[in-house]
Amino acid sequence: MTDPTVAEAWVAAPLRRLKEDARLISGVLLYPTGRAVGQFGFSNAADVMSICALTSAINASSRELGRQLDGKPFYELHHAGADRQVFMARATAGGQEFLFVGVFDRESSLGVVEIYFAEFQKALEKLRPEKQAPAPGPSGDFEGELNRSLDALFGPIGKR
Amino acid sequence: MKVSLVVGTLSHVPGVVAAMVVGAADGLIVETSAMLGATDGAGDPRKHTAALAAYLYAKVTRASDAARLGKPAFMRLEAEQGHICVVGARDVVLVTIVTPDANLGRVRLDMMTAAKGDQ
Repeated sequence: MTDPTVAEAWVAAPLRRLKEDARLISGVLLYPTGRAVGQFGFSNAADVMSICALTSAINASSRELGRQLDGKPFYELHHAGADRQVFMARATAGGQEFLFVGVFDRESSLGVVEIYFAEFQKALEKLRPEKQAPAPGPSGDFEGELNRSLDALFGPIGKR
Repeated sequence: MKVSLVVGTLSHVPGVVAAMVVGAADGLIVETSAMLGATDGAGDPRKHTAALAAYLYAKVTRASDAARLGKPAFMRLEAEQGHICVVGARDVVLVTIVTPDANLGRVRLDMMTAAKGDQ
């Protein structure tokens, strides 16, 4: 298994621990805007780009659906496929929101992933640097933000 | 047997601190008893115990299969301050958290009877 690649160094240790404890095959931590913060299990920037875009869109729509149905946004989302399962959830650290999407198979279970995701969230809260650059809000340049975060994870295009 | 009845029956066995019916595949609690002697500040260990016990039981099942012993009938984890007992019943596992001085024979018998009733 490969170690996580990260755009922000402080998320590397919690991501590695989550991957190992929850027996995840792959996972991406990102800002709700779609900007990737860290990933493991992927070797292709295009895959991470697709996942970030889809996760960001799913979060926006499921959040609104939660508001409509339950008066508050849904906290997590789980999809069980035939062989692999997808777990998606929000995490907050220092008031900054993150999204995480992870993939697992029969080597793990939803219950186990939920437990270790809760620990991951606590670790994020604890390790988040006090003086962090202002949280990246939507700049309107979705594609540009996404590409810059992918450059940080995989290197600039042409050198990947 | 209904899951609520299984949990109710097991939770009344002397020495059982908590009894749960847990999804075998996802490790999520289907039905649980109250945690005997739980205090507000101590935190509730049932969710963690359920998920990890179901996970462990899945691994034990594979080990038992690899050793050509068939399905495990009963799993007991002995710890410093008690036991965790697990019995498989089709799509669920029965999990109990038990005190060290409990009558384990009675716990085992009642769990296996409950599991058979579920099949």
